[in-house]
Amino acid sequence: MRTYALRRILQTIPIIFIISILLFLMVRAAPGGPLTAARRNPNVTKEQLERLEEKLGLNDPLPVQYGRWMSDMFSGNMGESIKFHRPVSEMISERIPNTLILVGASFLLTLILAIPIGVLSARKPYSFFDYTVTTVTFIGQSIPVYWLGLGLIVVFYVTLKNPATGDPLFPVGGMNTYGKEGDLLDTLWHLVLPVTALSLGWVAWYSRFLRSSMLDILHEDYIRTAHAKGLHAWAVHYKHALSNAMLPLITLIALDLPSLFAGALFVETIFSWPGMGRLFWDAAKGRDYPVLLSVVMVTAVLIIVCNILADLAYGWLNPQVKYE
Amino acid sequence: MSELSLGKKQSEGIAALIIRRFFKHRLAGIAIAVLTVLVIGSASAFLSRYNPTDQEPTNSFQRSNAEHWFGTDELGRDIFTRILYGGRVSLTVGLLSTFLSIALGVVVGALSGYFGGWTDSILMRITDAFLTFPTIFVLILLGAFLREQQVPWLKNSVLIVIIIIAALSWMWPARLVRGLFLVLREREFVSATRALGGSDARIIIRHILPNCIGPILVSGTLQMASAIITESGLSYLGFGVQPPTPTWGSILATAQNQVFRAPWIAFYPGLMIFITVMAINYIGDGLRDAFDPYVIHTEM
Amino acid sequence: MKHKLLPLLVLLSLVLGACGGGGPTATESPDTSPTAETEPAASVEGGGIVTLILPEEPTTLNYFLADAAIVRQAAEATSMTGLAAINEKGEFVAMLAHELPTLDNGGLSADYLTVTWKLREGLKWSDGEPLTSDDIRFTIEVLSNPNSGAVSGTGGFDLITNIETPDDLTVVLTYSQPYPGYLDQFAYGLLPRHATGAAEDMTSWEWNRQPVGAGPFIVSNWVSGESISMTKNPNYFEAGKPYLDGLVFRIVPEPAAQTAMMMNGEAQFHLWPGEFKEDYDKLLAGKATQHLIPGIWNMAIDFNLSAPFDGDPAAATPHPILGDIRVRQAIASAINYGSLQQDVLKGSVGDSTNPFAYGWYQCDLPRKFGYDVEKANQLLDEAGWVMGDDGIRVAKGAMYAPDGTRLSLELQGYTAFDPLQLTEEFIVENLKAVGIEARIQNYDFSIIFGTYEDNSPRMVGDFDMLIFDRGFTTEPQGYVADAYSSTSIPTAENPTGGNYFRWVNPEVDSALETAGSSFDQQARKDAYCKVGQAVIDDLPQVYLYLFQDNYGVADNLTGYNLSTWGSMTWDAQNWKYK
Repeated sequence: MRTYALRRILQTIPIIFIISILLFLMVRAAPGGPLTAARRNPNVTKEQLERLEEKLGLNDPLPVQYGRWMSDMFSGNMGESIKFHRPVSEMISERIPNTLILVGASFLLTLILAIPIGVLSARKPYSFFDYTVTTVTFIGQSIPVYWLGLGLIVVFYVTLKNPATGDPLFPVGGMNTYGKEGDLLDTLWHLVLPVTALSLGWVAWYSRFLRSSMLDILHEDYIRTAHAKGLHAWAVHYKHALSNAMLPLITLIALDLPSLFAGALFVETIFSWPGMGRLFWDAAKGRDYPVLLSVVMVTAVLIIVCNILADLAYGWLNPQVKYE
Repeated sequence: MSELSLGKKQSEGIAALIIRRFFKHRLAGIAIAVLTVLVIGSASAFLSRYNPTDQEPTNSFQRSNAEHWFGTDELGRDIFTRILYGGRVSLTVGLLSTFLSIALGVVVGALSGYFGGWTDSILMRITDAFLTFPTIFVLILLGAFLREQQVPWLKNSVLIVIIIIAALSWMWPARLVRGLFLVLREREFVSATRALGGSDARIIIRHILPNCIGPILVSGTLQMASAIITESGLSYLGFGVQPPTPTWGSILATAQNQVFRAPWIAFYPGLMIFITVMAINYIGDGLRDAFDPYVIHTEM
Repeated sequence: MKHKLLPLLVLLSLVLGACGGGGPTATESPDTSPTAETEPAASVEGGGIVTLILPEEPTTLNYFLADAAIVRQAAEATSMTGLAAINEKGEFVAMLAHELPTLDNGGLSADYLTVTWKLREGLKWSDGEPLTSDDIRFTIEVLSNPNSGAVSGTGGFDLITNIETPDDLTVVLTYSQPYPGYLDQFAYGLLPRHATGAAEDMTSWEWNRQPVGAGPFIVSNWVSGESISMTKNPNYFEAGKPYLDGLVFRIVPEPAAQTAMMMNGEAQFHLWPGEFKEDYDKLLAGKATQHLIPGIWNMAIDFNLSAPFDGDPAAATPHPILGDIRVRQAIASAINYGSLQQDVLKGSVGDSTNPFAYGWYQCDLPRKFGYDVEKANQLLDEAGWVMGDDGIRVAKGAMYAPDGTRLSLELQGYTAFDPLQLTEEFIVENLKAVGIEARIQNYDFSIIFGTYEDNSPRMVGDFDMLIFDRGFTTEPQGYVADAYSSTSIPTAENPTGGNYFRWVNPEVDSALETAGSSFDQQARKDAYCKVGQAVIDDLPQVYLYLFQDNYGVADNLTGYNLSTWGSMTWDAQNWKYK
């Protein structure tokens, strides 16, 4: 297992290389640059612009810039933001926890809801319950996340009010109320709407997935044997089918992480959540290359790490898997 | 002998069986009907008495009325007509990007699964690399990159959106097809054909691939549903199809500032996206049942 | 196996939770709370904390490092109080200076080469240190240093050849040549020597996020991506001000969420609301009102007078369609300006006919070709463009275009800016009505405003029509000369030129020279108006409208005075709440 883990980690090195080259090309070969806004600003003189261009080293050939970037990244130096003049590593470390809170809470809620829904609808497929759940989950899956987010704001922040105080039911702006920074309860309160918007589609997707893999397993022989042995149907469902059906779910979750982060970009924008998605978005608009490249690379590495963890967890849970 | 080598008559029998099973899923049948209506509606958009770009700025922000069924937008354009035309683009983007991504995915998956070895290793590393891309970030970067190349035919931004969506979704069918090929290439009908001197290309195309159609179709529906949502999301962020071409996403995007003033501008295109994606999901569900050997047993 | 699975999930969630458990990493200020001796007076009438909505995060609070307008919105409340300021009438007023140096009071020498500034007495920085003439010297040293990394507001500092500080309150500056912007250059704040660092390191100064300034407020907390909080500066130079106890800038990118916050009274000042005034006021009746004041962004369509896509950026070959002035006149006549301004943009913009639409150089010149469809058709008929079967004209005896050429032009703009897109779509219909096809082609912001090396279409001359908004500051000469002089047509030899239209007009060249060399404001204005008239006559571009800056302000906030020349917080010291 340890050699497998090691091999798995080594395998990611070419992946990281491929990713970094593709990203660098995409970002840097596209015309336009970080000085566009300055070029448009009537308060900025031309001499100043030329000096800045020189200073940023944006005139070097691309392979040289790529080499410089990669060697910097390997030595842990993500560079300095062109716009914010701050170390990129500092900016990213401010934002990662916020995104992880959002994504983590959504992930947790998704599992808490999706597992029972999936199991129950697999117990009696094509029953009324199953049809209802299918419909509800399909609804969840078919609503664009930003549309849902806007709807939540209109309903729970603007229209509905707390009858006692007249205040909005849920807050929409940021992670904390002013003056309550670091207050966990207040942050949870601010999480309600964003997490709802982010989770709905995923609950649908995973409960559907769980339902169909449960159905597959329920037709396998050992479950029938278990039935024949007279085990209570409830126990059969849970003990055998669920644990087996969870295995492919772990792989799926790992593969879905990139999309979860994607959804987070919309949710962070709509609910003013200061996470990585918005850091990326601002950097993309301003062509802040060091931030842009680092955010995407860090997210990609985060996803790779989760993938490896999922693979290892898979092996740990399923002793049948043999690592050659 | 494989199911593939069955006579023409018998394969018609299978097709009929699959179709019959598909329509047994009542909601899938309804979904087909809904989607057909949408497609016909979009295709016959020219019948509307309005043109999608006809403006009447003095008549902006009208609520639904007899003249304008879905009301008018900020330029006084008929939202109903724009939604019909937008449907063309949105459905085309969904369909074409799905075709592209499935085509690419099938090629990669088939080569990888059939040949194995270093072909598999290289192709799967690339696939894994693409799977770890933070999707939306790369969609935006790739879109910006492509749009700004000095290639005249790429200036058509609809094509760009189709390409970038396909470029970031082919990995799913590729993995699926590879998995199927890994299993199927060991089956006796394949080794039999190979023993008889069938070329690799012939085996892949004529013998293995047809057995994968069911799962590919099901995954195609998932792809198309997500492509339509992705297109609208990109438009919402301002990186999608550019005006004056209306799409459901771009109509929705311009409605952002009018959420309180004219909520219907955001409501109708959102509703259309919702209905379409829902219908496609149900069709996928029906297809899954139709191709799933277990379904027969579980029917109650 | 279940017993393995559940703990794993719990563990995973815990890891995710724990990673995030650190809470928001705020950049706490070391100690910006007022010291004991300068304890703030108990909240006075009109005090309280006002929340302001920003659509994006300011990159810094150092104005000189800022490339975008958003920085000033926050920085002006804390670090941009300088020797002078520009008030809402566009006039200079003394701030930290005792009075403005002029010819009359001797502050400005008769040869315009020596300027003497006198500071008010007893000035202090927000940390309590005295503010002296040495800080003025330091500011000049930094901004004239080519390696400082400064972006904005550096104009004229390299002309200062000698700085003398005879005492703590006086600074005497010698210029190498007369500089008309000698007041303007000191209107964007001073830099404290003791709280910053070396000029070369300006970009990495801690001061940029925690400025010690002379403004009415001090940064107390900056939560990255979420908010910037400020408390009142007890050392502010105007006695009794600011009235407010503090400001909180919240970063809210989603327009609907911004308006919703105003509806719920969670914010009092709303920068650039997405709703039009009429709708906004109705929606927020009794809570907030939208105010419009003329901005500096002036929207125009630039025509390319030279042939596009011919590999030659210079003006040598005329544009096959737009080279004929009658076509340009027809386009100008086809646009329904009134409807564009009032119906499409709901009065959120003002009329504008030429580049000089505001400020001391404002020229009120009437349009020569107003909205007149008949006139447009007639002009096109005369110019040899006959109506084709599909409603688009084709050339038949046109000046430059071979017969059979369709009257079809590309209209380039930039993406993701709603008013621009509405304008484009409206104009396309306007032009269609007279038989001109306009094809919208929008590029990313950074392409439209890209460089010559990047092949930005406007620089290499590969466009037909380009729609975008320009802005001037109180000292427009640099920008104006760059845009209209025949010597600044962008080419490989002159890759930063700004004459995108490839317009050559000797009268304009000489007027620009007059405007650049005179110190007499009236003479300069007359010269600029000559340029403005030439734009109207020659139509290298057609002006559509002038954007107005819009702000939503809660009704219980008073004392503010909005200005074309300042950001929303330019007079925050005067605000009163409730």
